[in-house]
Amino acid sequence: MDASLGPTPWALVVGAPFTHRSWRELLYALVAFPVGVFGFAFVVVSLFFGICLSVVVVGLVLLAFSTLVVHHLGALNRHLVRRFLDEDVPPPPPFQPRPGVVNWVRSGVVDRAGWRARAYLVLKFPVALASLIAVIALRIVSLWFVLAPAQWAANVGTKDLKGDAGFHHYVINFGSFYFDTWQRTLLLVAIGLVGWWLAPWVLRAILYLDRHLLADLLGPTSLPSRVHQLERTRAGAVDEASARLRRLERDLHDGAQAELVGLAMKLGLAQEKLAKAQQQHDSPEVAQARRLVDDAHDRADTALRQLRDLARGIHPLELEQGLQPALATLAARSPLPAKATVTLTERPSPAIEEIVYFCAAELVVNAAKHSGGSAVSLQLAQDGDLLRLTVADDGVGGALIAGSGLSGLVERLSTVDGELKVASPLGGPTVLTVELPVRS
Amino acid sequence: VSATPALRVVVAEDSAVIRAGIVEILIDRGYEVPAAVGDAASLIQAVAEHHPDLALIDVRMPPSHTEEGLRAALALRESQPDLPVLVFSQYVETRLLAELLGRNGPRGAAGVGYLLKDRVGNVAEFIDALSRVAAGGTALDPEVIDELIGAGGRAKTLDQLTPREREVLCLMAEGRSNVAIASQLVVSQRAIEKHISSIFLKLDLPPSDTDHRRVLAVLEYLRS
Repeated sequence: MDASLGPTPWALVVGAPFTHRSWRELLYALVAFPVGVFGFAFVVVSLFFGICLSVVVVGLVLLAFSTLVVHHLGALNRHLVRRFLDEDVPPPPPFQPRPGVVNWVRSGVVDRAGWRARAYLVLKFPVALASLIAVIALRIVSLWFVLAPAQWAANVGTKDLKGDAGFHHYVINFGSFYFDTWQRTLLLVAIGLVGWWLAPWVLRAILYLDRHLLADLLGPTSLPSRVHQLERTRAGAVDEASARLRRLERDLHDGAQAELVGLAMKLGLAQEKLAKAQQQHDSPEVAQARRLVDDAHDRADTALRQLRDLARGIHPLELEQGLQPALATLAARSPLPAKATVTLTERPSPAIEEIVYFCAAELVVNAAKHSGGSAVSLQLAQDGDLLRLTVADDGVGGALIAGSGLSGLVERLSTVDGELKVASPLGGPTVLTVELPVRS
Repeated sequence: VSATPALRVVVAEDSAVIRAGIVEILIDRGYEVPAAVGDAASLIQAVAEHHPDLALIDVRMPPSHTEEGLRAALALRESQPDLPVLVFSQYVETRLLAELLGRNGPRGAAGVGYLLKDRVGNVAEFIDALSRVAAGGTALDPEVIDELIGAGGRAKTLDQLTPREREVLCLMAEGRSNVAIASQLVVSQRAIEKHISSIFLKLDLPPSDTDHRRVLAVLEYLRS
């Protein structure tokens, strides 16, 4: 055969049962069977005891613990499928218990991926059984059929029947059809050959079902879990960005800012020396040098101030001690009389603190610029997993999100699913509310 | 302002560049620097060892780079209330001020200074502040004062002050003496005294010795 043409379709169909793939499927069926039996038994037993004992708390603990085990069994099944069937099913969200014993048990009992894995392990049992039958029983029977003429000739395990319809010396009967002549045993050989050839196809069909079960029940599948995963990676990205900015601020502080302060100090000393020199001996050169150094000192000062503002924009140092002192400092610095009230039960994640701080700063500046009011109040409160920042002024109202600096805030908030609400009727007062999660 | 010779200053600053610069300036001005350290623990040790006349402390130091310096300053003030401390910080924070000044009541403001770090580049102002604190006075960074004056969050009592009285109070808050205030505002010392008694009156401060009321007025100003 011309190799470039590849095997003919005929060769493919006939040869299919004898390909590498078929052998691996066979191996899989053999290996997966005991795993399937164990998984099934484990789920049934753990559910039985877990539910029976759940009246005493032990049952719930048992269920939670079994969730851990079924996660591993699921992973084992995915591994087998990957190893033998080349089917790569991504894992579901890992078991992530919340801290604390009670929360751990609760997470374990309600874990969605765990229950899906249990469903798989239960359904896997009949499938594994069917696979094993397809692999072993079908082949054994086929082999037996193929050997039927020999058996018939050697009279091993043959049966005799004397009845109304006459005498039969036969190997097997299908109802009233007796394989009792050597021609008929040849028919058995044909059936056996077909059966031997068919066995891998049957197995493949069963494994098709198995793969679907596995992908549906042991994979990440559903949209909510995908969304959950995306939320997690986004939160990671937000936190990572915020951490990188903090490092940048630290580097600026330790590097450029320190160098500039050092430079300003040297220039300051030089200024003084030159002033003294001028007193002792005035000359145009000394006067000029003095002007130059004065100018250089001014520039170093300006650069320092700019750098300080820049660093503050990157990461406000005020936040190191938390939002309470940071917002209090913000209020104290506000051009419009401001009062900050902060009631938090826990410290939000750094990225969230930053967003809250920048929102508060922007809103306070906005109130001072546009409201025409006489005072502004800043309130930060926690409501479960939600932070609510309220900035209210007694100004003329009519504030809009569009076209103002506020649209930047909205964008920034949207990275953590936060939102900005504006209540600003003409004539005031204006109340801006920012809501965002405690953790990104 | 001329420096008192042989005044001994311990310096705590984690940035080697700035530390070296400060030591250079201090030595140039005739101060003695028995120790210049880079973290809070070494500072406490150096003060115990050298008994300096003043401790110059950066707020942000290792290991956490948040406010180790401030904690150390407060601890030093706790154990040695008479030790003048000049603290410098990267930014203006009212809470730090309140902690530093408010700890031991009105006395807490004596011998305390709070400067922005950038200020050390301005040698004259820096040395001026340092010598005032060393002499038991108060020195607050002009920018700190600016921010507080410019901010709207003042108590009503301060609204009753005239612009001139505010100016005087602002200079008092910086820790200046009457003479210094008079020369800065180019008025007679007598006029300044009149302003100050008017401030005391408006802030409703009980009559007691002038220094005490002076500090109270400044605190009122800072806290409001």
